[in-house]
Amino acid sequence: MKALSYEGPARVSVRNKPDPRIEHPQDAVLRVTCAAICGSDLHLLHGLVPDTRIGSTFGHEIVGVVEEAGPQADGVEKGDRLMVPFNISCGGCYYCERGLTACCENTNPSSDVACGVYGYSHTTGGYDGGQAEYVRVPFAAVGPMKVPDDMSDEDVIALTDAFPTGYQAAEMCNLSGGETVVVFGAGPVGLYAMKSAWLLGAGRVVAVDKVGYRLDFARRWAGAETLDFEKVDVITAVKDMTEGRGADACIDAVGCEAAGSPMQRAAGIYAKMVAGSAAALNWCFHATRKGGTVSVVGVYGPPYNLVDFGTAMNKCQTIRTGQCSVRRYMPHLLEHIRSGRVDAKALITHRYPLDKASEAYHTFAQKQDGCIKPILLPHGRTLH
Amino acid sequence: MHETTTEQGRARGAGQAIGVDLDPARRPGVPRMHAPERLPHTRFPPEQQQSRTTVFMHRRPHKSFPPVFGTAVPPKGVSGLVRRAAYRYPDHHMRHWTMLLLADRVDAWEHRARKALKLAAPALGAIFAVRAGIRAFAR
Repeated sequence: MKALSYEGPARVSVRNKPDPRIEHPQDAVLRVTCAAICGSDLHLLHGLVPDTRIGSTFGHEIVGVVEEAGPQADGVEKGDRLMVPFNISCGGCYYCERGLTACCENTNPSSDVACGVYGYSHTTGGYDGGQAEYVRVPFAAVGPMKVPDDMSDEDVIALTDAFPTGYQAAEMCNLSGGETVVVFGAGPVGLYAMKSAWLLGAGRVVAVDKVGYRLDFARRWAGAETLDFEKVDVITAVKDMTEGRGADACIDAVGCEAAGSPMQRAAGIYAKMVAGSAAALNWCFHATRKGGTVSVVGVYGPPYNLVDFGTAMNKCQTIRTGQCSVRRYMPHLLEHIRSGRVDAKALITHRYPLDKASEAYHTFAQKQDGCIKPILLPHGRTLH
Repeated sequence: MHETTTEQGRARGAGQAIGVDLDPARRPGVPRMHAPERLPHTRFPPEQQQSRTTVFMHRRPHKSFPPVFGTAVPPKGVSGLVRRAAYRYPDHHMRHWTMLLLADRVDAWEHRARKALKLAAPALGAIFAVRAGIRAFAR
């Protein structure tokens, strides 16, 4: 089959690889009809996630059709159309039973920090991802959800990661109505966090970024006020907007490749002395009021960062964070999309065949051509 | 002055479904950990996967090998040796991660070297053939 192949920092290509097969009785093999490129894939692309091996296939946002189901994948049959959470979860361990499928104990030998994730290095279990014609899906009956017939792949692809992650980010702010929420990063996860903050009762939503077209989109699509951090001192601006105190809650939807601090970028992105740049997280601590909440869903890889923890501690802040346990959010957020409250399809700006994956990564990474969310269509445009 | 769209301020959240999920009972992640309940179609405990490939497990004492794992890219070459050494340490040791990052760089160098070798071998062959041809012609 054809699959995306990591060729070293900043390089991917499309190569032939052996077809995936059933390796466990609860597996299924999916024919991938739609695979999105996530902002966190760029951290892999740029060599910031440990144990990302040459030849790996990325892609953890997947919709596809079951080609073959293992004998213990109960209720999953050939031809079923599934949307696949990025977490690989057994459904019965201590964490899965309690709803934290992102912390499953049974899918990652390589590390205790995360469960198995599709196409996200051997640090998260060494699974190949879905930016390919086919993908192996472990616990196919447990994590994935069947796509309703009235919904297209593009309607639901966001439910595999970006929308639940953004929603969880807003949910972790523990809003009770009327709060000011500042979202750092106006990429797909940040945009969904803004939208979700409104759903959860925010009184004011502010987007921070430096990319003009993304700020325009945040104003238009998410009804947010916007701050361009290259034009203003963002901390001062947020405090000016909130009677000098700071926001009730800030969301870091940027992660380890944040711009805004030459020192952080020199140490973390170029010299790789630390695990990326923590500039957005540090801004969150400063922009949040004392006693407020900092919610972190931007991806940070191990081992360590230059984090201004003393500010958070002295300001009595609550820090909430975590990989999203996607499975628990899927049914609820599906209804938001179906009811028209959230137009998830609007974020998809670019569609590519698999052969053009390298171009898709380049356009997305360089934020060219108004790109917000690119998707790959390994088998051409779907009929759904 | 900071740049903000104050005109948006008057119509803050215009067009948004504000407060639909204000009630915590409507929030899927509240409480963060709920009473134990297996997900539908769960078969537990899962059988052990029987794939024949080299997979490293980090060496935290008392950690057992999980029943399901990925088999994407088996370790190879010098980078594989560095990875093997890295996984001798648990993931709460800094050296585990720094050795893995080093292995990633070595992997990239090895990949480039292999590609260069693929180009170099025919090029060297051609040079030797031309030189042999010139010598034969000179005789």
